[in-house]
Amino acid sequence: MLFLLDYSTFLINGFIITVEVTLIGVGLGLILGILAALGDIFGGRIIKIIVNVYVEFFRGSPLIVQLFIFYFTIPMITGIRMDVMLTAILTLALNSGAYQKGYLKGAMEAVFKDQLMAALSLGLPTWKIFLYVVVPQALRIVIPAWSNELASMGKSTTALIVIGVREFLNTGISITAQTFRPLETYAFITIVYFIWIYSMLKALDMLYNKIKIPGLEPVI
Amino acid sequence: MTSILECRELMKAYGKVIAVNNVSLGIGRGETKVIFGPSGSGKSTLLRCLGLLEKPTKGSVYFNGVDVYVSKQDLNKLRARIGFVFQEPSLFRHLTALGNIMLGLKHVSGLSDAEARRKAYEALKLVRMEDWVNYYPAQLSGGQQQRVGIARAISMDPEVVLFDEPTAALDVELKWEVISVMKDLADRGTTMLVATHELRFAKEVADEMIFMDQGQVLEVGSPDHFFTSPNTERARKFMAKILG
Amino acid sequence: MTPVEQIVFLLKAVPVTLAISFLSFLLGLGLGVSLAFMRIYGIAPLRYFSDSYEKFFRSVPVLAVMLLLYFGLGPLLPIFKDPFFTSVISLGIVSGANQSQIFRSAISSVGRTQMLAAISIGLTQLKALRYVIFPQALFLAVPGLGSEIALLIKDSAYSFIIGVIELMKHTDILRASQRSLILPYISSAIIYVVMTFPVANYLDKWGSRKKRELGL
Repeated sequence: MLFLLDYSTFLINGFIITVEVTLIGVGLGLILGILAALGDIFGGRIIKIIVNVYVEFFRGSPLIVQLFIFYFTIPMITGIRMDVMLTAILTLALNSGAYQKGYLKGAMEAVFKDQLMAALSLGLPTWKIFLYVVVPQALRIVIPAWSNELASMGKSTTALIVIGVREFLNTGISITAQTFRPLETYAFITIVYFIWIYSMLKALDMLYNKIKIPGLEPVI
Repeated sequence: MTSILECRELMKAYGKVIAVNNVSLGIGRGETKVIFGPSGSGKSTLLRCLGLLEKPTKGSVYFNGVDVYVSKQDLNKLRARIGFVFQEPSLFRHLTALGNIMLGLKHVSGLSDAEARRKAYEALKLVRMEDWVNYYPAQLSGGQQQRVGIARAISMDPEVVLFDEPTAALDVELKWEVISVMKDLADRGTTMLVATHELRFAKEVADEMIFMDQGQVLEVGSPDHFFTSPNTERARKFMAKILG
Repeated sequence: MTPVEQIVFLLKAVPVTLAISFLSFLLGLGLGVSLAFMRIYGIAPLRYFSDSYEKFFRSVPVLAVMLLLYFGLGPLLPIFKDPFFTSVISLGIVSGANQSQIFRSAISSVGRTQMLAAISIGLTQLKALRYVIFPQALFLAVPGLGSEIALLIKDSAYSFIIGVIELMKHTDILRASQRSLILPYISSAIIYVVMTFPVANYLDKWGSRKKRELGL
């Protein structure tokens, strides 16, 4: 596999893009997921329908199709052409938000049920209730789900090759085209994905074990 | 005697269902009053309106003689002065017994960490939970959780404490430990309004008992009055059913 | 082509997409059940193997596996020159890791006492697994398996990258031949949603109902 050393800068750049889009996608997805979960819990009928159509569309179709739609169809309809990286991140965020909505809703409902009134009766203003009661609990409930989400988003970013993003797997494709050594190249790529995603899972697992509290087990 | 907490012609409806209808009552300093009546009679709703956790549909709530909803006072400041103990212990599950009590002391009363800790410990001692300060709610029995809930309410030095059937969700053998804590509080002169089916508790500590049915107050009187000769047929039947 | 003809053209590829998903699900099921039992009841080397397999294949992208098998192993093992076969194998071995986890948690929910009870009436451990533990675990696994099938239907779209003529490929052909960027992608996305939505939701509801009925 030593020939890959010649391509080390190339590979590292690809890997950085993969990590970047994963983290930004999941991060923005968290914000979208919180909004969608709040909309589904507190919103009126119309908002609930919009949230559910959004979630079912992004959870029910392959990421590849979503990427094509955002890269080709939407610019075609709106006339607005976005940079390919921006398209990639936007699509990943919307995709991740749809998945995160599900367990965020569960986590919020678990907290909202009986403790909100107790917090209210102590005289806590709403923002303090959110900060000191809802967030610390919801966080602990969703960390295991988040680690799943990070892992699955990390793996899904390989779909970005269809719109030509130069992420990690794509560097492998280019190297193969030049060296004609697909076996070593793809084996190397696969192993790096494994090391990266497995250590993310492990790290979040350790974090969770550090802050976990009896009786606050995750919803999934 | 002027009441600390009082409601006049209070009505609360959820859509078309009227949960509390035209109730007027008040509670003065140092008094212990017990509200009883069948489930669904509106006790919980009435208490939540008095605790300023729900807004009445009609009528008014007075705190220290001031109409709460007319005077536009900061509800959160008033809520802090009214303790509330729920049927479900409703403890914050991410905090220890001590942490549950410190939350309000720090973030509502504005005490320092050390002061809040000291005061929370005192409150836990009062409900005989001083050996369990560092346990999380899930590690405590229902009765222990409820005692922490009581400590959380009284730690804020409220002028009145409202109890919404605090023993209804507990097994028989756990009820007495909560009731004995409540008796202590009554003996110490805490102002209390208690919704409960524990009529023996009422007999021992209540200055006045209030019988509610179908959202209305049907009869008010001393424990002696209710235990010997209630006026209304429904109160008589209910007493007989509970006392067996 | 009229819009209707275009949609018909897309629908013609649905059987291939479903075939890939179904076959890879079956492969994953076989692997998943075996791995789960190895992990819980097996001897040390089997437990270790099962654990490593699960960890590895839950952490690698299925597309990377697909390219590795097709382009990397294809020249050495002619069987991997077939894109359909290769995509079924790739999706199946990755799904095996997911399904192993689903069955592991289902089996551990059934509980140790069931095993003890089964042995106490004289069943061998193998028979206890076959007649007592597995049937209950299967019910508990149903909702998870529903999401797994939905996931496989979506992930089968990766097969078009190595040249399988399935729904995504037909979508791509339409885009090129009709020079249309709207209808092919939108219709194709809707077809995928129509395939995945009922599977995941129906099996989830069915599984929860069964679980309640059986008091598991």
